[in-house]
Amino acid sequence: MRVKNLPMALGMLLSLAGWALAAETKYIHVKVEDTGPNAETVRINLPLSLAEKVLPAIHTKECDGGKVRVKEARFNDVDLRAILEALRTAPENEFVTVESARSHVRVAKSGGNLLVKVRETKEKDKPETVEVSVPFTVVDALLSGGKDELDVLAGVRALGAIGDTVLVTVNDKDTKVRIWVDSQSSTE
Amino acid sequence: MPAGTGAVAGGAGTLLLAAAIVGGAYVYDMGAVRVSVKSKSPGGENIRLVLPAAVAPVGMWLAPKEKLREAAEQARPYLPALEVAADELGRGPDFALVEVTNPREKVRIAKEGTHLVIDVDDANEVVHVAVPLNAVRAVAAQLGAIPPAPTGQAEDPSPSEGHTL
Repeated sequence: MRVKNLPMALGMLLSLAGWALAAETKYIHVKVEDTGPNAETVRINLPLSLAEKVLPAIHTKECDGGKVRVKEARFNDVDLRAILEALRTAPENEFVTVESARSHVRVAKSGGNLLVKVRETKEKDKPETVEVSVPFTVVDALLSGGKDELDVLAGVRALGAIGDTVLVTVNDKDTKVRIWVDSQSSTE
Repeated sequence: MPAGTGAVAGGAGTLLLAAAIVGGAYVYDMGAVRVSVKSKSPGGENIRLVLPAAVAPVGMWLAPKEKLREAAEQARPYLPALEVAADELGRGPDFALVEVTNPREKVRIAKEGTHLVIDVDDANEVVHVAVPLNAVRAVAAQLGAIPPAPTGQAEDPSPSEGHTL
């Protein structure tokens, strides 16, 4: 190879390496659109790698080394951890379906994800829908800490290991919320 | 002039030059804080400031010690995270961290190159602030180095209660 082409080749190689590194960065996005009288759009983009580095450096009473302490992981004597553990080990299925004149609630396990879908219809208004889809690998990671803590750092790492995914979608009369993970640095 | 005096003067000159070079390199490395305010009202004032970011840590020496200690106490649990965040942001690609848009204003906080940039565009003015990430890290490190208040004087740095799942 001619020596005069070496700098150009090195430059191209470094550009490709930089592009590859940038492409690997995954972001968690939050977009909140308020279409009501106080119309407002909020977009938050956070690189998972940043969260992964920053979380272990926070040392407060509530959050220490990436683990968030939860005072009570129980709701009125319902052991949430035990329920999630049961769901995780259960075969793929629809677990709960509640249907009434105004609401429809569905909790299921599908494609390795915990799915929660809620649809509520209020008089005259557009129906309000909430959809949550969390991979069980993330649920497992979150619950991998001690009894009264959530291992958020492990959850972030697990999120980074999965592909592009929509975690939460909320649509109601005036507000739309979307939380998702992908490799784009912006929400658009 | 005796030969010895000339040698001392030469040595002092070299030292001063070295100090100026080192100081200049430090100031250059820290970058500059840029603040720009453009008024939208007719005849309104426009302000444009470019300050060496190195003055931020120096300015902390001039701040009242008690106020600084108080600020350090409140921020202490988050200061290592701020240092890590500044480092990590510096390494990664550019991106908008937060964008808020409503009919009254647009706010954007982004990482651009080696700076954290804040843009606000409202009915009255357009504000642009660019702070070098190096300066953020230096200020966080300096705040973290302030010794805690003697026992009994410091307030609990994390007053809020734990979350309930």
